[in-house]
Amino acid sequence: MSEKRTIVIDPVTRIEGHAKITLHLDEQGEVSDARFHVTQFRGFEKLCEGRPFTEMPSLMARICGICPVSHLIASAKACDALLAVRIPPTADKLRRIFNMAQIVQSHALSVFHLSSPDLLLGMDADPAKSNLWGVFERDPQLARDGIRLRQFGQQIIERLGGKRIHPAWVVPGGVSEPLSQSDRDAILGAIPEALAIAVRTLTWFKNTSEAFREEISSFGNFPSLFMGMVKDDRSLTFYDGKIRIGDSTGNIIADGLDATRYFDYLGEKVETWSYLKSAYYKPKGYPDGMYRVGPLARLNVVDRCGTERADQELAEFKELQRAAVLSSFHYHQARLIEILYCVERLEQLLNDPEILSKHVRAEAKPNALEGVGASEAPRGTLFHHYKIDEQGLVRWANLIIATGQNNLAMNRSVLQVAKHFVRGNQLLPGMLNRVEAVIRSYDPCLSCSTHAVGQMALRIQLVDPEGKIAAEVARP
Amino acid sequence: MTPRILIIAYGNPLRCDDGLAWHAAQKLSELNLPSDVEILTRHLLTPELALPVSQATTVLFIDATQTGVPGELASRLLIPQRQSSLFTHEFSPATILSVAQELYGKCPEAFSISLCGECFEHGETVSVKVGEGLPHLIALVGEFIQSTKQVTDRFAAA
Repeated sequence: MSEKRTIVIDPVTRIEGHAKITLHLDEQGEVSDARFHVTQFRGFEKLCEGRPFTEMPSLMARICGICPVSHLIASAKACDALLAVRIPPTADKLRRIFNMAQIVQSHALSVFHLSSPDLLLGMDADPAKSNLWGVFERDPQLARDGIRLRQFGQQIIERLGGKRIHPAWVVPGGVSEPLSQSDRDAILGAIPEALAIAVRTLTWFKNTSEAFREEISSFGNFPSLFMGMVKDDRSLTFYDGKIRIGDSTGNIIADGLDATRYFDYLGEKVETWSYLKSAYYKPKGYPDGMYRVGPLARLNVVDRCGTERADQELAEFKELQRAAVLSSFHYHQARLIEILYCVERLEQLLNDPEILSKHVRAEAKPNALEGVGASEAPRGTLFHHYKIDEQGLVRWANLIIATGQNNLAMNRSVLQVAKHFVRGNQLLPGMLNRVEAVIRSYDPCLSCSTHAVGQMALRIQLVDPEGKIAAEVARP
Repeated sequence: MTPRILIIAYGNPLRCDDGLAWHAAQKLSELNLPSDVEILTRHLLTPELALPVSQATTVLFIDATQTGVPGELASRLLIPQRQSSLFTHEFSPATILSVAQELYGKCPEAFSISLCGECFEHGETVSVKVGEGLPHLIALVGEFIQSTKQVTDRFAAA
């Protein structure tokens, strides 16, 4: 008997946050539709109403235990706008160092801890072994490199911020403490090893990716827009710049956009089946304005990275596909190139003669009632937007998080992968793992994007034409 | 300098008694501990800890427990053991030791000291029972450091 059914994968594993995937099958057992549901909710925008704006950086950092620094940076920039101050040059550079340390440790988590089991052991590996233990056994050097690279980033955050999670060092007007010479020297001393790991891992990945041609062709390999922040010279930046948007043919369709005016060109749509809002590029409407952010998008819109080795890798990266690099499988390689760039750039900034200056904070009272802060987080462009009253209390807040901006693309990617690999009449673990793996390539941070309490996880559901759940795969 | 004694105090400092190890770490850092004792505070145990653990001679994990009578101390010797969980958000001390052994070929002698809590709600203060138990925990850690140093110093001199 043939009937329509639904597969549920719940929870989705090796991602940050709670989600499930629903796959809808037709009478022939072929996938007809798929959805990525984010099942957690937090509501930070409401929590902060009535609080003093000066609390925002520390409060907003609590959104996430993986990328608190990103929220600190964007939040502090929004507060700088409320103060209407220009922060001291050294504070600007120190924030850039802080942000890049965060990018390194977060990207390392994604590549080494979350996705390396897929990449090293294969998509069809025994699910019981497709985890960190399997990686430790197969390639202990890769595992050690992952641990060391994450430690490198975390130690910079700890040295600058006083602690590795939820540091309160970034404040409105700058940073609270200057960098000491001993900390500067210690970080510089670790650069050569971090650089060697970054280069080694990129080489490994490029050799490994040859084995994933089918995944490359079907993991989010479709036209979309790409958005990222660029410097004035159109090179890579994570801290400050103008918004640039490119299309799938490689053409830049919007350039020099003011990040603080994001609401002029970005919209958000709420769907009933997910707590995660879907962002879109307004001029193209919803859902045609689907765009991607994060490493793949950033490298698609920049002209160059701005450091020697990363630029060599970027040139090679841009040859992966004819115009823009479309496949979301390539997020992994883009992530590794960004790690390389960050390590090189960290060395440049730490050798800047101004970096040890003691002048790191501009003091002021509120001079504006509205402020927007934007920066590049590991997963993409991040916006914090606050409105305050005359007493400096937050009356309204809006956060646009990278994962929400990738929501439309993630959903379409799940559908593409499911249609390519999943056969409802004979479900195999490798099929469902690929559905999860395409989500992992985006490295979604669901705690951030829904602004959730609790553990991480995802679920796959098989739903029949009447909407009944025919099968469900849930993780223990 | 590679620390010879590594103390890993872990728990959630925003969940009352679950954060007792952070309070213990703070009090220990105010003591005049030997320079080869390093204290790390963590919200939870992650694979990265395997590296410093592998570099230590002795490791002591301090944590809160929900098992037992509130305010009571429990200590035990740890042996490396893999955990079966598919998730890597929460590693046990025994798993950290196992990772240290597998990746770095070194697994130090390791112990845990746990203090039983009674309140794990939101908050940054500890319960009365845990507050009364903390000085005993500090004293036990002090004795542990002293006895461990005597043994390691003796081996170093030999």
